[in-house]
Amino acid sequence: MTIRTGIFLGGLVLALVATLVFLLAPLAALLLQVPLRDLPGLLRETAVTSALLVSLKTNLIANAIVLVIGTPAAYLLALGRFRGRPVLLTLLELPLVLPPAVAGIALLTAFGAFGLFGSTLAGLGIFLPFTQAAVVIAVTFVAGPYYLRAAVVAFASLDRNQLDAARDLGASEGTVFRRIALPLAADGLRAGWALAFARGIGEFGATLLFAGSVERITETLPLAVYAQLDVNLDSAVAVGILLLAISGGVLLVAKLPPLWSPAASSTPVGGW
Amino acid sequence: MLKRRLLSLATICIAVIALPASASALTVYAASSLSKALPKLDATPTYSFAGSDVLAFQIQQGAPADVFASAAPLYAEKLHAAGLCDTPVVFALNTLRFVVPRANSAGITDVRQLDQPGGFRLAVGQRTVPLGIYTRTLLGKLGMGRALTKNTVSQYPKASDVTTAVGLGSAEAGFVYTTDWYANTKRLKALPLADSAQPLIRYELCAVTRPGADTAGAKAYIAKVLSLNGRKALQDAHFGLPPRS
Repeated sequence: MTIRTGIFLGGLVLALVATLVFLLAPLAALLLQVPLRDLPGLLRETAVTSALLVSLKTNLIANAIVLVIGTPAAYLLALGRFRGRPVLLTLLELPLVLPPAVAGIALLTAFGAFGLFGSTLAGLGIFLPFTQAAVVIAVTFVAGPYYLRAAVVAFASLDRNQLDAARDLGASEGTVFRRIALPLAADGLRAGWALAFARGIGEFGATLLFAGSVERITETLPLAVYAQLDVNLDSAVAVGILLLAISGGVLLVAKLPPLWSPAASSTPVGGW
Repeated sequence: MLKRRLLSLATICIAVIALPASASALTVYAASSLSKALPKLDATPTYSFAGSDVLAFQIQQGAPADVFASAAPLYAEKLHAAGLCDTPVVFALNTLRFVVPRANSAGITDVRQLDQPGGFRLAVGQRTVPLGIYTRTLLGKLGMGRALTKNTVSQYPKASDVTTAVGLGSAEAGFVYTTDWYANTKRLKALPLADSAQPLIRYELCAVTRPGADTAGAKAYIAKVLSLNGRKALQDAHFGLPPRS
């Protein structure tokens, strides 16, 4: 190893250490705020448990919607050849740049009582604000694009020859999607879903403005953190730690090689 | 060589970022509801607007404020008790309004309707922020302490969230500050409230006493707000005024 390489590698290590310290120190400080043995007691407050239930229920439904509708939509976006595709892809990424509060106002102006579809929905007897359906919509709107974007990339990077080979062997389009495209894109899809999940479970601004913060109905964990901040800083920190644990768990599971895929162990890992 | 250049670049960056905090003019931390009135009166200070509870928390954590303008006595008094600011003075008053969206599709005409079974979608301040505390005081004085359990109630951390919720029709009614209502009369209709039910809403100012604070500048600023000019600016923004001391 020459001296130049040594300096270069040293620089890389320094950069990594700086990144770790900067990103992890605040999280560690949060953990140090509350003694770990106090956590269960703080989390057992009814406001926290009901918020946890609301968060889990709404996120489960939102994630199901994102996966079931987002996956085929991304497949078509990635492999379809049609005019205006780049424009469409850009448009679908726009919700990513909206500040959450603006996303909430956008949802209200679309689905609220005075919104674009408000009177149509009211005619059907549907009123969204202050309901769990509204939380699901807010989470889907804010987190969905993260999955969609990753899924489009995952499908677009598939080897089209493999798909064509399956077709030549007589596989139907549905079979190609199910048996070839889905398994091959699985890693990318899983990573995209993990990111969307983490974004959704931490959702605050859009939920607050569109769904409101009604105890036991639309008050999710992030909203509960804010409500607890003045009552009891410790319990707010405890809720924060709980959120970190949930998201950390999901992100970690998404990164571990799946047990059922034989391909996972054969992925070579490059390095110096 | 590259490393040294990067290092000096980083030093310059840090210096540039840190500069305004140390060299700038007076820094005023003020409740969001003052965001129009105060800069109109004096545009020279650096303003930071947020909820009074958030500002008080930041000052406790050592934020570089020179003046604190709180929407409720509680927060200024709390800082004063902790030795973080000098004696607070009252400089403005506010009242509450019971508001419904202009369209008023729920057909609410009287605050007493909130006390009847049926249940409206109601937007109020969280019980921990000044607006939420005042709203509960008002309902208590009206003898309607149970109204918050008889309706579907969404609680917001900021006064402007309540205004948005009612203005865009996610709530059928709500309680907001008079000053916020004036800023949104196009969307919000105010319904009558008995004067006797109004809580006493006092805004308080104090000079922050952290090491390095611009105390002289803070005192001059506070005097300006309390002056006739200051009172005029506050009145123009629809605040009430305390008796002149």
